[in-house]
Amino acid sequence: MSPLLDLLLLRWPELLTATWQHIYISLGSVALGALLAVPLGIWLSTREHISRMVLGVVGTIQTIPSLAFFGFVLPILGIGILPAMSVLFLYSLLPILRNTYTGIREVDPALIEAGRGMGMNSRQLLFMVKLPVALPVIMAGIRISTVYIISWTTIAALIGAGGLGDLIWGGMNVYDIWLIVAGTIPAALLALLAGFTLGRLEKTVTPRGLKAGYTSGEGEFNI
Amino acid sequence: MSAVFSIALEHLWLSVAGVFLACVIGVPMGIVILKIRVLAGPVMGVIDILQTIPSLAMLALVMFFFGLGNMSLITALFIYALLPVVRNTFIGLTGVKSELLEAGKGMGMTGWQLLWQVQLPIALPVILAGFRVAVVTSIGIATIGTLIGAGGLGEPIWRGIQLVNTPMILSGAVPAALLAIIADYSLGLLEKSVVSRGLQVKNTN
Amino acid sequence: MIRFEGVLKAYGSLEVVKKLDLHVLEGEFLVLIGPSGCGKTTTLKMINRLIEPTSGKILVNGQNIMEMNPVTLRRKIGYVIQQIGLFPNMTIMDNVDLVPRLLGWDREKRINRVYELLELVGMDPEVYANRYPNELSGGQQQRIGVLRALAAGPSIILMDEPFGALDPITRENLQDELKNLQSKLNKTIVFVTHDMDEAMKLADRIAIMKDGEIIQLGSPESILRNPSDDFVLEFIGKHRVNSCELEKVESIMKTNPVTTDPDRKGTEMLALMKRKGVNTVLVVKNDKQLIGVVTIEKLDNKQNLTYKAEYLADTGLPVITAGSPAREAFDLLVSQKLEYLPVVDQNRGLLGLVTRTSMVNALASVVWGEEELS
Ligand SMILES: Nc1ncnc2c1ncn2[C@@H]1O[C@H](COP(=O)(O)OP(=O)(O)O)[C@@H](O)[C@H]1O
Ligand SMILES: [Mg+2]
Repeated sequence: MSPLLDLLLLRWPELLTATWQHIYISLGSVALGALLAVPLGIWLSTREHISRMVLGVVGTIQTIPSLAFFGFVLPILGIGILPAMSVLFLYSLLPILRNTYTGIREVDPALIEAGRGMGMNSRQLLFMVKLPVALPVIMAGIRISTVYIISWTTIAALIGAGGLGDLIWGGMNVYDIWLIVAGTIPAALLALLAGFTLGRLEKTVTPRGLKAGYTSGEGEFNI
Repeated sequence: MSAVFSIALEHLWLSVAGVFLACVIGVPMGIVILKIRVLAGPVMGVIDILQTIPSLAMLALVMFFFGLGNMSLITALFIYALLPVVRNTFIGLTGVKSELLEAGKGMGMTGWQLLWQVQLPIALPVILAGFRVAVVTSIGIATIGTLIGAGGLGEPIWRGIQLVNTPMILSGAVPAALLAIIADYSLGLLEKSVVSRGLQVKNTN
Repeated sequence: MIRFEGVLKAYGSLEVVKKLDLHVLEGEFLVLIGPSGCGKTTTLKMINRLIEPTSGKILVNGQNIMEMNPVTLRRKIGYVIQQIGLFPNMTIMDNVDLVPRLLGWDREKRINRVYELLELVGMDPEVYANRYPNELSGGQQQRIGVLRALAAGPSIILMDEPFGALDPITRENLQDELKNLQSKLNKTIVFVTHDMDEAMKLADRIAIMKDGEIIQLGSPESILRNPSDDFVLEFIGKHRVNSCELEKVESIMKTNPVTTDPDRKGTEMLALMKRKGVNTVLVVKNDKQLIGVVTIEKLDNKQNLTYKAEYLADTGLPVITAGSPAREAFDLLVSQKLEYLPVVDQNRGLLGLVTRTSMVNALASVVWGEEELS
């Protein structure tokens, strides 16, 4: 253990910087992703035809291997944080978009009929009924997205974006397992912490009346 | 062109090898934790934690223990593929309606008959969905296998990035993307086709 | 209050509501009933424009609803659905005061209103106002569903099989409560059901629908008494049996049969028959006691004309006692090929007479309705 301690004593400022970079690259990408995907998901929820197309495209983006994706944007955006965040942003879209879309689509039609029948206009229906009821599902999408974007952000180091991947990649190059561990543990902890915190948040935003038995899982990717 | 093709084939082979191993171990594991329910929590917990290890870190750690080369990559892919395979097997099997199980038991089926004749066929689409996620994920992670000396399409991409050589990058990135997309699409079709006719959602329009 | 004028709703070439004319009166409880798929829901939802008619006009309070803002219209009409549809993200309070909130009532007024309504159905506001729908039983939930429709005091309430998903006991309780509420509030209610018991219990008028048309409209009694065709007859099912069995023989008999004293002569009886235009007289003692009957055939004989009624009377004729079902009288008339059947009390006192004509009239009123009879 002492090599790890030595390393921490010696290089803690570097570790701190890398962790901070890691946080803002990943959370920034997800935040931007949510900013687009939530409204888009809402918009798509009433447009079945276009939605199938958009979800298909976003789903396809999701399957593109990350290194290949970085390779695609490199010639256009160069290296650094910008191309890294652009790619991570695109990757973050799918779970949020899909959960927003299905969350709203799966709101019990009886609620919508009741709301309309009582004289809600479409805005009131959205904000008073659809969004509150779908919110836990949307939050689950954001959680899933956050957790795996934190993991993928390590790869962004390969195109010079910084973050904890820097330490891991550095460790691989100088064949130093402790450097690798020093990068891996905070990255894994960040992912766990984000998953836990957002999971709690998900529960708090779930109205008491909806608490029983909401499940919210989607296949998680990890590339 | 043929060089790219053979690299793509190697890429596919590496990805599928890891997933194959994960299936060989993972499906029985899903069944075991179904039968011995107390194990379900701990097993899924461990697999979940393994998942939070970023792929780059996983490759680095595996490299440390198994050295450079294809075997290390396959090991890493195996570990990653375990989660979707075990989880979907378990979820698929537990998702079979209890009325069905009761009906089966009532007709005098043994536990294993129930598993083979009722639970597994009904769970198959879910298990295959896990397989599909695992394959697509593996194709993705395999691209960074080049960093630990494995072959595949990551090699030209990575070399291209270092040399700032766009054509070289694209010669790996385009086939890698296509491979993932095609795998996802065709496994999606397979997934649909194995849903037994009685379970398919009727399209009433 | 609500007037349908030639309202048609078609999906493609399929007409699900056909040229409907219907006037729902103010304060009336109108039940739309019919088999599944006959267009009840469609008819109902056209009133609050959840479905728009293909052609025709619907007037609410004399105003064409197509010229009104649908949102404004709906806020003025209460709406209750089978699936209840309470918003799970809102408390009972928030669910009930939703329309008042949409209408911008102030908070205090809304709270008072919710309390008043909860008390109306015997649910303690202190207990229930802050609960969530999933913390209530199905019956309680639908009570809230009804209150929610009443909250802003609409004069019209639409209800689409509101009690259809509840267990029989809860359903009956809620029916009773609704009936009770209606007697206090006097709303104009259009209520969809496919349950004839429910319709009978609640309706002022019932509209029976089939294939997008109203095939009979009237009070529960008039529909029971005069079903307009076989379909209605079948639809009202067991109620029909009940009604026929309840019908007593007195209700179909003639109460002023031509009678005579036992000591009238044949000639006098013949004159009586001519005068009254009948071919039978009943012979009664002491103005009451039935002895027998004399038919015109008996008087076809010169000799008989000189005898007294007492001796001419056929005393062995079948009679039926008052209080027996009308059906029994019909059965006797038909099975014994009788022309008439006296109705008597326990002491053979004559009350009236069931003839083939009265049987035909009674049947006719079942088939065509009583109005046509003179
Ligand atoms: N959106 C629609 N498109 C086509 N047909 C419809 C639609 N909505 C209802 N129908 C048809 O209209 C008929 C009447 O429906 P509805 O009014 O719901 O019946 P009810 O409430 O009496 O059971 C049914 O045959 C139904 O299939
Ligand atoms: Mg209906």
